[in-house]
Amino acid sequence: MNAYLALARASLARQFRYRGANLAGLITNFFFGVIRVSVMVALYNANPAAAPAGYDLAKAVTYLACAQAIIGWVALWGWWDLVRALKGGEVVADLQRPIDFFGLWAAQDFGRAIAQLFLRAIPIMLAFALVYPLVGPADIGQLLIFILSFALAWFLSFTWRFLFSILGFWVTDGTGFARLAIFSATFFTGFLMPLSLFPDALAGVLRWLPFAGMVATPLDVFSNALRGPEALVAVAVQAFWALALYALAQATFTAGVRRLTTQGG
Amino acid sequence: MIFIRLASATLRAQARYRASLLVDALSALAGNGLEFVALALTFDRFGSLAGWSMGQVAFLWGLTEIAFGSMDMLFGGFDPAVFGQHIRRGTLDMYLLRPVNLIAQIFASDIMLRRLGRIAQGALVFAYANHVLALAWTPAKLLYLPVVLVSAVLFYGALFIAGATASFWTVQGLEVVNVFTYGGTALNSYPLPIFDRWLRRFFTFVIPTAVVVYYPALYFFDLPDPLGLPGWVSFLAPAVGLGALGMSLLVFKWGLRHYTSTGA
Repeated sequence: MNAYLALARASLARQFRYRGANLAGLITNFFFGVIRVSVMVALYNANPAAAPAGYDLAKAVTYLACAQAIIGWVALWGWWDLVRALKGGEVVADLQRPIDFFGLWAAQDFGRAIAQLFLRAIPIMLAFALVYPLVGPADIGQLLIFILSFALAWFLSFTWRFLFSILGFWVTDGTGFARLAIFSATFFTGFLMPLSLFPDALAGVLRWLPFAGMVATPLDVFSNALRGPEALVAVAVQAFWALALYALAQATFTAGVRRLTTQGG
Repeated sequence: MIFIRLASATLRAQARYRASLLVDALSALAGNGLEFVALALTFDRFGSLAGWSMGQVAFLWGLTEIAFGSMDMLFGGFDPAVFGQHIRRGTLDMYLLRPVNLIAQIFASDIMLRRLGRIAQGALVFAYANHVLALAWTPAKLLYLPVVLVSAVLFYGALFIAGATASFWTVQGLEVVNVFTYGGTALNSYPLPIFDRWLRRFFTFVIPTAVVVYYPALYFFDLPDPLGLPGWVSFLAPAVGLGALGMSLLVFKWGLRHYTSTGA
């Protein structure tokens, strides 16, 4: 356990070194959020009655603000560490360590995520709260469900990233697979628009897939779009996929290591 | 010409990895395309955006994506993230030692065929817009459309070059320029009036991305500017595109004179 903690701590400290990059990321995420919120405000202004019952503008704006804030936490876009380690062969050193490979990378990624929570997620939420009226979890129960859902979102996203990255065991350069995985999943995560505003049939299907649990579920819990039993069901779906993806990741890893030949030199 | 030989070497290298190129182009097509689908699905519920129909927004979106995709392919070597690496790793010194114009070399260094995916996505959305809008294309409008497209490519390219110039000083690629390049483009995909006044003014008068896409679009739709600028602003696109490119190249050359190698 101590080894995992040390890995997480080192990775967290590393994030704090990149001050310029963190600030730039913060500004970019905030700016894109402003564009998307502007679109949302204009859509609601055009026809407020068209929104689903109970899903008001404040919820939609909060959802979009949270979507920008969660980018650094789940790192679904632009996480190439494991792809590169496999391509470059550094992964051999990791495999020789007396520590579980998934755990090793998960611990490092958790440290990275915690750092991003303070460097990205919280500052972005504060910035949006200054400019737009936002809502937050309605009561303490909702807040607790949110925290659970938020944590599961990280685990799901990591397991998913781990899975598509280790396809690199089978090809010399896993970058293409990774790009395909990232580009195609973005839509399904609910990152682009609140799932509640999609046609009901589509949103209904998306909520049962693993991707919604990486972004949409914690956002809907935070903005009270999912409440009480509905929220608990959504978190249970997240937990189910967390276990399923974890099992799949371990099985894929075992199969991949058996095939592994690294290039010498 | 040496530029053509350099560029064709870059292209042939990518054509070797046909499967990988195809996967990358398809990812970009699907990824950017689904972003449009997400907007269209939400739009469908509300019906309009600041008085603009889905077709009109698709027109802006398609035009912007074709222009940005083409620019990204042609000016890829100036992408601040790519150019910053040349400086960090010292590969720029290698270019400087060759008896070939530096700017031509950078142009030829990173022509990414996978950007065709994004261009195709833009073309599809643009075709959809024309299908639903049934615009009255006069000869003048048909002539002006390619001019607008080229102007937008030059303008976005100027933003990349300006961003690349910054890395002469910062060494690290300056990520904040993403706000102007990618952010300015994202902003172009929507009608200008939906944004706050400070944003509109900034992207009309300071970094005039609105002048290369939004104002020409008003001309194609025969719409007056709801924000009150005169009609001739729609025809400033070529001047703004060429002017921005010329200025950015001057700044780049000036920056180059201040370049000191990292020694890497």
